[in-house]
Amino acid sequence: MRRVVITGMGAVTPLGHTAPATWAALREGRSAIGPITSLPREALRFGIAAEVRDFDPLQHFDEKKLILLDRVSQLALVAAREAIAQSGIDFARENLGENTAVVIGTGIGGEHTNDEASRRMYAENNPRLHPLTIVRLMANAPACQVSIENGLHGPSFATVSACASSNHAIAQAFHMVRSGVASAAVAGGTESCITLGAVRAWEAMRVLADDTCRPFSKQRRGLVLGEGAAVFVLEALDDAERRGAAILAELSGAGMSADAGDIVFPSDAGAALAMKRALADAKLAPDDVDYINAHGTGTPANDPTETRAIRATFGGRADALAVSSTKSMHGHALGAAGAIELVATIGALCDSIVPPTANFIDPDPACDLDYVPNVAREMPVRAALSNSFAFGGLNAVLALRRAP
Amino acid sequence: MSSVKDTIYDIIAKESGIDRAKITPEATLKDLEIQSLDAVQILFEIEDHFKITMPDRDPNFDTESVQGLIDTVEKLVAEQGAKPAAS
Repeated sequence: MRRVVITGMGAVTPLGHTAPATWAALREGRSAIGPITSLPREALRFGIAAEVRDFDPLQHFDEKKLILLDRVSQLALVAAREAIAQSGIDFARENLGENTAVVIGTGIGGEHTNDEASRRMYAENNPRLHPLTIVRLMANAPACQVSIENGLHGPSFATVSACASSNHAIAQAFHMVRSGVASAAVAGGTESCITLGAVRAWEAMRVLADDTCRPFSKQRRGLVLGEGAAVFVLEALDDAERRGAAILAELSGAGMSADAGDIVFPSDAGAALAMKRALADAKLAPDDVDYINAHGTGTPANDPTETRAIRATFGGRADALAVSSTKSMHGHALGAAGAIELVATIGALCDSIVPPTANFIDPDPACDLDYVPNVAREMPVRAALSNSFAFGGLNAVLALRRAP
Repeated sequence: MSSVKDTIYDIIAKESGIDRAKITPEATLKDLEIQSLDAVQILFEIEDHFKITMPDRDPNFDTESVQGLIDTVEKLVAEQGAKPAAS
């Protein structure tokens, strides 16, 4: 089995349009949550989210190409370009692109395209839909666009598992690179679903916060939607060393599980099973881990459940762990969440700085771990987990080590 | 024509599957052991039936007890009626 490393990362998030800009904001504990600007606020119950602001697609794509791209693919392509450029990988060399995989997760796909088509049809009674509606809205569009733009002919597809889509995508890419099924992989997640229909649907579930996102804090009032994309280049350690690439981190394991229980209510057993599998896969002992980037949605149900799951997995080590939810800053980007949080986790491993849980007020007795409230912490981070737990009870956890 | 109370009792019984006779005005949905996903469906069915928008964790409204739901609906329906009819 080959060892797998990450040699490039790119991100377009509410905190910044690049991975370094995003990481800088995370270190500073800056939150991008604010009033929604892209929708009529009077139509919304609370009207807050973490939006990617000032993203001008024409800076990145010519009009001919743009006509093919929903915003969800635009964000993914821009993030992929950054990751590939940073890695310095040349897919043309040694025919590498012939078997490089692309796996991009998304929870929903081309939601803006769907919204626009619905508006024309039902609101305007206009039966003529744009002929590129399907190619824009299909959930595999971001993966296809990354494959096409870079000439990557390996196994390529989307993973769709709501809030765990990114981690499932990265796990699949990891397995393919580790086993040698793929030579290398471009993997991550993307989401852009701050549309009237999607926000209203979230409002109807009554899980949105009306103030901001305060994970693990007693005053938490729910989740806050976000959007964005993050994409990574995965390759075998040997290949990266041979070409002299700078290694950001080692992706050392992945653990997945299904609660097989409730469609919305999370299970600590299911979450713990995924974490335990990730540790075992990475050959990490609980004492080797210093940081967990938590799923930490800020809902009443997730945070105590995740806390119990971490305790069940780590036993006595749990109290020594730094655990933070960066959703307090970039919001919950659903299918892109795990990828954006991997930027935070890699940042922690590279810089020995753990990003905080922002907006934290008072501790909740049901959430009794060290959540790194409000201020980043300088500390050695040898290994870390990044948790994603989706509606439907689908859990995916990534395990990373500092670059060898 | 059924009263607001009757309608709300019907909706709670139908959505949660509990015996209508168990519902009392003082009980909260939690007391009735109604799961959160059933509770949001109850709120939605109430909204859809009365064509109103139920508040979400607004401290001025009680949407947890059955009587609170009845009072909230009656207040919102009255406000609705006071508005000029949409053309």
